[in-house]
Amino acid sequence: MSATTQEAPLVSRDVAGAGGGRRMPFPAQVGMLAWRALVVNVRVPAAILPSLAISLFALFVYKAQFSGVAAAFLPGQSYLGFILPLSIVSAALSGAGVAGQTIVNDIERGYFDKLVLTPVNRWALLLGPMLAGGIVLAAQSAALVLVGLGLGLRPATGAGGLLATVGFAILVGVGFSGLIVGVALLTGNAAATQGGTFLFFPLTFLTATFVPVDQLQGWIRVAARLNPITPILGAMRAILNTGWDGALIVQGLGSGAAMFAVLFAFALYALRARTRRR
Amino acid sequence: MGDRTIVAEGLVKRFGPFTAVDGVSFAVESGEIYGFLGPNGAGKSTTIAMLTTLALPTGGRAAVGGYDVAGQAGAVRRVAGVALQEIGLDPLMRSTELLTIQGRLFGLSRRRARERADELLRLVKLEEVTARPVGKYSGGMRRRLDLAVALVHEPAILFLDEPTTGLDPASRRDVWEEIRRLNRERGMTIFLTTQYLEEADELADRVAIINHGRIAVEGTPEALKAGVGGEAIEVTFADGAAAEGARAALGDLAGRAQLDGQTLRLYLAGAAEAVPAVVGRLEARGLRPRALTLSRPTLDDVFLQVTGERYADEPAA
Repeated sequence: MSATTQEAPLVSRDVAGAGGGRRMPFPAQVGMLAWRALVVNVRVPAAILPSLAISLFALFVYKAQFSGVAAAFLPGQSYLGFILPLSIVSAALSGAGVAGQTIVNDIERGYFDKLVLTPVNRWALLLGPMLAGGIVLAAQSAALVLVGLGLGLRPATGAGGLLATVGFAILVGVGFSGLIVGVALLTGNAAATQGGTFLFFPLTFLTATFVPVDQLQGWIRVAARLNPITPILGAMRAILNTGWDGALIVQGLGSGAAMFAVLFAFALYALRARTRRR
Repeated sequence: MGDRTIVAEGLVKRFGPFTAVDGVSFAVESGEIYGFLGPNGAGKSTTIAMLTTLALPTGGRAAVGGYDVAGQAGAVRRVAGVALQEIGLDPLMRSTELLTIQGRLFGLSRRRARERADELLRLVKLEEVTARPVGKYSGGMRRRLDLAVALVHEPAILFLDEPTTGLDPASRRDVWEEIRRLNRERGMTIFLTTQYLEEADELADRVAIINHGRIAVEGTPEALKAGVGGEAIEVTFADGAAAEGARAALGDLAGRAQLDGQTLRLYLAGAAEAVPAVVGRLEARGLRPRALTLSRPTLDDVFLQVTGERYADEPAA
């Protein structure tokens, strides 16, 4: 068109002049986006409460069904201390969808694009919802621990052990949320993101779900050995039932950290794919 | 006026074998409302996506506020506000929260972000409904809030992608008034895409008509309409054959005759005076029109003239 006469250069300014270069510090960006994700989730309690309710239900049922026969495979130990970590981990896994659902809702509603058009650090778009998810998981796990205490749990490692148990739950849940967040970012589709949370089933049931791993037989024993949740459950159960076992705790932490690292890397890859301009 | 605030030179965007934007060039001056008019699928939103840094051009170059949209995306985002076609607001949040978050991410202090939110809510007349979640707002209210979110960082340039699509006529008028006010009172340069001819005609200082990824024509609405050839007599018949016969009978009366199915449009100066002659010739040939109307040219006529297609007949892409 005739309007493009060369009366001035197309690009005439350098970046330093734009908007005075003001920028919110990165930790504050993460904190604010986490706060916003928490606000949104608290306003829809139905998105958070089912995973806690199901885990509570499972805790009561498993305790009622197996406590009577547990002496056969857990001599001298509390079955409540054995089964409570499973409830906490399953709540953490199923509750890990909070971050992914927040992100996929934002993508579907167009709010994610609005955030991308601000000077926000891309990592904050990921870490904010994941931090919010971690806070929700911590609250869920603490609630389950309190219920356990109400049912008569007497942890072998005292209050420190209870905190460590919640810590393991956060590690598992936030790590697993990397997968859900990654699916949310890659697909931008709520149904696909919801589908990702169903991986919770093999992780929770192809492990030492109801009995110790060394008492499993055949293929389920192989699957449990390969499942990264198994060492984490082992560490949590030891903390509640027998005491601080350094080797088991290191194995649990190692497995949790490895799961976190792999799935977080996947989430970062997905973030890059989502925010890369094409 | 006078500075080129938004410039595109040979802008191209391809998606695989499909070329959505095909060598678009234009320059928008500071303080101007520039209308980018075209039917669905013409390439409007893709162009705005490149100008607002959401998409990279496949070819050509563009600058916004003097910054290159490809290489200086962060700077472009700071000088430009964007309200996309899809209203990107979280329905669970409240207007003040959304505006404050946006302000904080653009580097405003907590206090300043809150003050700015209040200012903007007054500007778009939403200060009375701050307690309500955004999901409870009407379409027009959401659109006005979206506009406010785009203005949080006080941009000099505003991109609006189909700002009134889906709104009822009253809400559309409200948004138009808001756009005019921003331009008039704050001297804001506004790049506006629209599929509504009337909207471009009402709001834009200059209009570019885009069709199949290319700019078909550009100019002020008045100049474009004047270029079509003054007033028009539109004669509609029961069938296309009668319309074709009418063109043969009347063609020499008009500067230009355009046949569109059963309708014949005659563009001529002094159309009103020519009506008796038109009627007389039709009667002499035994052609009985179903309707005969006198009209001033619209951007629809401009579109028809430059593209050979009737605007409303464009399929939704």
